[in-house]
Amino acid sequence: MRLLFAKYRHVFNVGLQSNIVYRWNFAMRAAFSMLHLVFVFILWGAAYQGHTEIGGFSLDQTLTYFVTLLVLQFFIGAFNEDYEISEEIRSGLINQFLTKPINYFVYRFTIFIAARIVSGLLALVPLLLALPLLGEYLTFPDEVWRLMLGLPAAFMSAMIQFTIAYIFGMLTFWFLEIQSFVILSMTIETLLGGQIFPLDLLPDTIYRISQFLPYYYQMYFPAAIFAGRIDYASASQGLLIQAFWVVALLVIAQVLWQRGLRQHTAVGG
Amino acid sequence: MLKYLKIWLASMRYSVVRSMMFRGDFIMWSLVELFWMAVSVAAIAVIYQHTDSIAGWSQFEMLLLIGTSMLVQRLLMGMFWSNLFEMSRNIRTGNFDFFLAQPGNPLFMVSTRKIDLDSLLNTVVALAIVIFSAHKLGLDPSLGDIAIYALFVGCGLVISYALVLLLASVSFWTIGTRGVESGYFTLYEFSRLPKQAFSGVSNVIFVWMLPMVVISNAPANTLISGLSWSDTLWMLATTVIWLGIGIGVFRRGIRRYSSASS
Repeated sequence: MRLLFAKYRHVFNVGLQSNIVYRWNFAMRAAFSMLHLVFVFILWGAAYQGHTEIGGFSLDQTLTYFVTLLVLQFFIGAFNEDYEISEEIRSGLINQFLTKPINYFVYRFTIFIAARIVSGLLALVPLLLALPLLGEYLTFPDEVWRLMLGLPAAFMSAMIQFTIAYIFGMLTFWFLEIQSFVILSMTIETLLGGQIFPLDLLPDTIYRISQFLPYYYQMYFPAAIFAGRIDYASASQGLLIQAFWVVALLVIAQVLWQRGLRQHTAVGG
Repeated sequence: MLKYLKIWLASMRYSVVRSMMFRGDFIMWSLVELFWMAVSVAAIAVIYQHTDSIAGWSQFEMLLLIGTSMLVQRLLMGMFWSNLFEMSRNIRTGNFDFFLAQPGNPLFMVSTRKIDLDSLLNTVVALAIVIFSAHKLGLDPSLGDIAIYALFVGCGLVISYALVLLLASVSFWTIGTRGVESGYFTLYEFSRLPKQAFSGVSNVIFVWMLPMVVISNAPANTLISGLSWSDTLWMLATTVIWLGIGIGVFRRGIRRYSSASS
């Protein structure tokens, strides 16, 4: 067990270092996200004109939701893991893992965590700089249970994000390019993951249905817990559904990996 | 002039043939774009469930604005987008030499290499959204208004082209330009907002200094409330200025270009 831990600790360190190399990339992304936040503030500010609340929430609460979403995105969102995995399969880099006692999924997931720590911390920099301007809009609820349920929810969301990216990467065993699949699924994710509007604004039935889909648990769920958009009962019920999706996606990923390897031919030496 | 038109037509024919060779790809990418447009439409539908106006714009006025914004974007994607970003890659690899050696204006040769049929196909969808919204609003634009609308959309395309040319030309100075593409998309988001939503500093930056807001607002306004001289002036001035900046930076870049060797 300790040996196992030590092995992946090295992977983690390498992941940290190689992602620090991309710090400017992440910084640029964070800067664009701030610009997106400006768009969100202007749009929702205009939509709230003449309303004190929309869907039962004030403008400040809605803006707090979008800021939370932005922070979460850099801490738990999958960025280009799908393309990286796809590239490793295509170029034959995965062959080296087949002969070594390293689990490819755990290896990639470890790197993913290292990468998110780097990008998450980097994204906080512009946000902290903007805090004097943002501060007056932020209104977080102060119940302790939100942290107790929100943190595991955020971790499981990270697992869901990564595993979906991993599954798309696995498609490389069968398809030449995966980009169109990824972007197609990204559109659904954008809508049903709550990137454009808080999902509770959806018509009731659609909102109910969305709660059973994995997209809800990719980002919206932890963000809604932290920003105070769902109550204790639906948060604890949500955790169970989220856990189900984590397991289901892990199983799919494992099956695809095993079937994919049967398709795979390692070429060259 | 005629020579250039012939060259452009030849690249178009080549692109069509190519798309038909990779039919699966073509269908997939058409779907991708269709989905993105559906997301924007759905967003509007949901927000207007809870409010009647955004900065004084009703639901279908807003949809008309967004449809216009999409129309310009689809045209840009269909005609110039991948050409310009390919240029950016070619500058890095040195393949850009090939364009300089061709007997024609390098900017023209770079910009018209191919067209993306899937995006052009989706302009029909964007146009349908505009027509649908206009119908819902009970608008009855005169032929003149429609001609002005088309002219403004054309100006919007020129401005977008200049903006992307500017972003792609950054490659002349730097090595990595990853992230520049997403920069364009983030900026272009602002074209989905009505001018009236901006105030104070954001008004100065996004409405007056950057060109995204005029691209969608001027044509949409023309359809909704008829031609206004201030809009016309605003649109034409923005077009001339941004095209000037785009071409200017590209020319400076070319002077700096010294090929690449391996």
